[in-house]
Formats: sequence, structure tokens, C-alpha cells
Amino acid sequence: MKRTSILIITAISVLLIAATTILFPQSKPKFDQPVLITSAGQSADVTIAGMIFKRANVQAKAIPLAKAADLEGVKTLVVVAGFSSKGLGAAGISREQELARVQSILQEAREKKLKIMTLHIGGKARRGNQSDDFNKMAAEVASYLLVVKQGNEDQFFSKIAAEKKIPIDLVDKIVDAVQPVAKAFEK
Amino acid sequence: MERHHITALCMLIVIAVVCTLAGREFLKMYEPDEIIPGPGVTKVDNLSSYSGDLAGTISDTKVYVLDSGKPGATALVLGGTHPNEPAGFMTAVVLTEHAFVREGRVIVIPQVCSSGFTCTDPLEGYPQSYSIQTKSKIRSFRFGARGSNPLTEWPDPLVFLQYPSGQQLSGNEVRNLNRSYPGRPDGTVTERVAYAVMQLIERENVDIAFDLHEAAPEIPIINAIVTHEKGKDAAASALFTLESENLQFALEMSPPNFHGLSHREWGDRSAVFPYLMETSNPIQGRLRGVTNEALVVQGIDRKYFEAAQIGSMRITYDLEGEPLARRVGRHLRGLQALLGAYMESTPEKRIVVDSVPEYEEILARGLGDFLH
Repeated sequence: MKRTSILIITAISVLLIAATTILFPQSKPKFDQPVLITSAGQSADVTIAGMIFKRANVQAKAIPLAKAADLEGVKTLVVVAGFSSKGLGAAGISREQELARVQSILQEAREKKLKIMTLHIGGKARRGNQSDDFNKMAAEVASYLLVVKQGNEDQFFSKIAAEKKIPIDLVDKIVDAVQPVAKAFEK
Repeated sequence: MERHHITALCMLIVIAVVCTLAGREFLKMYEPDEIIPGPGVTKVDNLSSYSGDLAGTISDTKVYVLDSGKPGATALVLGGTHPNEPAGFMTAVVLTEHAFVREGRVIVIPQVCSSGFTCTDPLEGYPQSYSIQTKSKIRSFRFGARGSNPLTEWPDPLVFLQYPSGQQLSGNEVRNLNRSYPGRPDGTVTERVAYAVMQLIERENVDIAFDLHEAAPEIPIINAIVTHEKGKDAAASALFTLESENLQFALEMSPPNFHGLSHREWGDRSAVFPYLMETSNPIQGRLRGVTNEALVVQGIDRKYFEAAQIGSMRITYDLEGEPLARRVGRHLRGLQALLGAYMESTPEKRIVVDSVPEYEEILARGLGDFLH
């Protein structure tokens, strides 16, 4: 009798877990303002992300070279991932310095328990060896991933999302990112 | 006459024939390309009008003005900054021959580095010219070099000290127009061309300017818009528009510490909103195979196809390649989208250009349909 009860309880538990996973796949967190947008890799996609937030009617401050101190009073950190050599040149820093900066701000955001939204909107142009260190770093700590499909043809972001249990939305075009952003900040 | 004299004479005759034929080919590069001003062109000027020293040299070039006669913004379009990047040049030719300006004014310089059209780069095996079938005839255009003709300012220094920044670049970059801005009136020939362009921007009160380029498919900055920081919002807005039409462009910022570039110096030293656009041109790439006229026009290269298949490419590359018509179509559409975004941000300065072929239209009908 005791053994039967244990089996029934175990079976019900397994079914419940499976049903939850199917019905509520990594439910998306709600994000709060104020929002700070920063870059991971200094691509100009951070400017485009600013435009996405503007169209989604979400107030956001964009600081491509934001430091840990800039997180003061911020509730959501948006990281726009993707490397640009021209962008690094414009910022006047090396790739190593940028990696260190991104690591530091992500660390601080986690310590402050801020929600992190990671955007990858640059498609293939922001993939490859130079970009993927930044992409991985920003994706792994995200509370939510929003990716333009062209940058995920090899499932790079989907694999990270599955492994780290991060909710992910894949959109066809940059302009399609406006709606998920608006929804993420809905009250 | 002894036998060895006859041999020597034959050799001399053969050498004379070869030299004559080669000389003819060499001199052909000095014959200007035919650009036929369309109904929208209201004035044809020379770049030397803005810097007198260029007059009468192979570095002087035509400036086409398309003026609506109505107030509005003034746009400048440069093709041929690098004469081995034909999509920039051909885009400017299509505008000159086909466009009509309804509001504002457009100034087009199709061959801004005109001396670069008189030679090709050594060791590249580039064709001297390429042909396009139009409705009425076959037109031939020169395929030039990346920089000014070395004969205009021989020899190159070992190290090029960019003026006025003092930035050090490799010696051959001294002939690269897109490292020579703002130029100077008493500098090298390339610096004088750059100076004349800066003078034009100032005197004509240019509001928005485009420098049209191409790059090898493996270069990270292709299918891109490069912007000065003051033009980034308009560029981002244009990118949204282009993306909604299924045209992917990357946005790149102009590095403030990289001097001599059009998008940097024009933006820093004048009121103009400068943009540089890049398309993907296989003939410039290191992976390319057969290098001929067909590669310029059709942009099909088996080696790039193979590279794309093994995932070495950052762009989509299929058997259709990167035809010149598509590259010109991208430039034209990018230019129109940026003009639209500029008008959104500056509604008091309108600029409306009609009769510019749509991207799909130029793909379907071919480039020749939009040339005389």
C-alpha cells in the first residue's frame, strides 16, 4: 500500500512538472522602469535598441559605455550584444577593456538583483568569433532574451536559453522587437 | 644582313607591336566614361570650380546639379571615391541620368577620384572596364584603382602623415581620398580633391551627404550604413524602414579618432549630416577566383559560394551572387531611406527625389534599363 502511494505521488509529480513545462515554458518576467540600455561589444545596435524602446513607449537611458555606478536607481538593465570594430574605435577602448567593462556591469547588476534583458538584433553581422564572447556573456545572465532570428540560425541563443532556462523570443525583424519589449514592461 | 641581325630586327618589330597594343590599352584608360545628363540635371560644373588648381588635370571631375528650383535641403552624392568599387559610381550615374528632384537640390559627383579611373591596382588582375547593355546600346565603363593614379603624385611616402591630424598610415594611403579629408589647397593631388569637396560642401550649404562604397564580402563592414554621431538617430530610423522592406543594413558609428574619413571630417568640420554606405563586392575579396568583367557585373564567384556553404561568411551568399544591379539597388534604396529619415528629423528642409528605381524594380529590369 505504502509502495503504491509513493508510486502514485511520484507519477503525479512527474506529470505536473511536465505539464508546467509545456504550458508555461520559462514564464517571462515583467520588467520595471527606470531602464538603462548599454552595449556589449560597442556596436551601433544600441542606437537601434533605443529606437525600439522609444517605439514601445518605454523610457530608457542609453549609455553605451555604462559602468557599474550608472546602475544607481535603475531597475532594468538592457544589454545590446554584438561586437563592432568601428564602435570600439569610436569608444576609444580595446576589446579586452570592453569585455572587462561588460563583465563588471553584469556582475554589479546581478548583485543588485536587477532584471537583465539581453537583445541581439544585429543578425549575422553581430555573430562570429569577435561577437560571440559578448553574446554569450550577455545571454547567460539574462532574465529574458530577445533575438532577431538571423543571428540564431545555428541555435546559439536558443541553446543558451534552454540550458540556463531563460525565456527567449525570436523575432523575424528588428521592428518586430517593439511589441515584445512593450509587453515586457506592461503593468 | 646577317642572320642574327634579322633575328634582332624581328624581335624589335614584335616588341614594337606589343608595346603599341599595350600602349593603346594604357591610353584607353584616359578616355572619359560617357555620362549622359538626364532631364533632372539643371547644371553641369567642374570640381575645379571649388579649388582652381585642379583645372585641366585628370583629377578634375564633373559635378552634376539636379535642382528642383524649390526651397529645401541640399544633398551631395559621391560615387567613385574608390574607383574599384563600381556600385558607388554606377549609383551616381543612375541618379545623374534618371533622377528628377521635386523639392530641394541634389549634387552628384560620379567620379570624385577621377584620376583613379585612369589605372587599375597592380597585381590584382582587374579588368580595365565592364559593359552594361542599355535599351539602346552597350555601354562600357572603366574599372579603376582604389586610390588616385600614382603618376599624379609619385612617389608614395613610406609613411603617410594624415593632414592635419598627423595620424600615421601606410604610404600608399596617401592616394586614398577617403583618408585625405579635409584636405588642403596646396597639398598632394588627393588632398586637393578632398579640399575641393569640403569647399563644395561649405559653399553649397550641403545638408546631407553620401559617400558610396563597396567592400569585400569577408570584411565585417558590408551592407552597412556608417554614420557620424550627429546622424545616428536618422540612420537608425532609416534602418527600420529598410528592414521593413527586407533590406538588412548594419549600423556602424564613425570612430572619432580615425581621421581623414568622409563621415568623420565632413561631420566634424561642417553642418552636413554625413553617411557612408557599403555593399558587398566579391571582386574586391581575397577569396575570389576568376577575376573578370563578369565578376564585376554578375558578382558570381564559386569560391565565395563554397565559403558561404561552410559557414565562413558573414553574409548570405548564394549562386545568384552579388550582382551590380543589386548593389546599386541597395545604395539607391538606402539613400532614399536616409533622405526620408532626414526629412522626418528636419521637416523644414525637404528633399524629394523622383524617378529613382526601386530595389525590386532594378533587380527585375536590370541596371541597363535605367541608363541611357
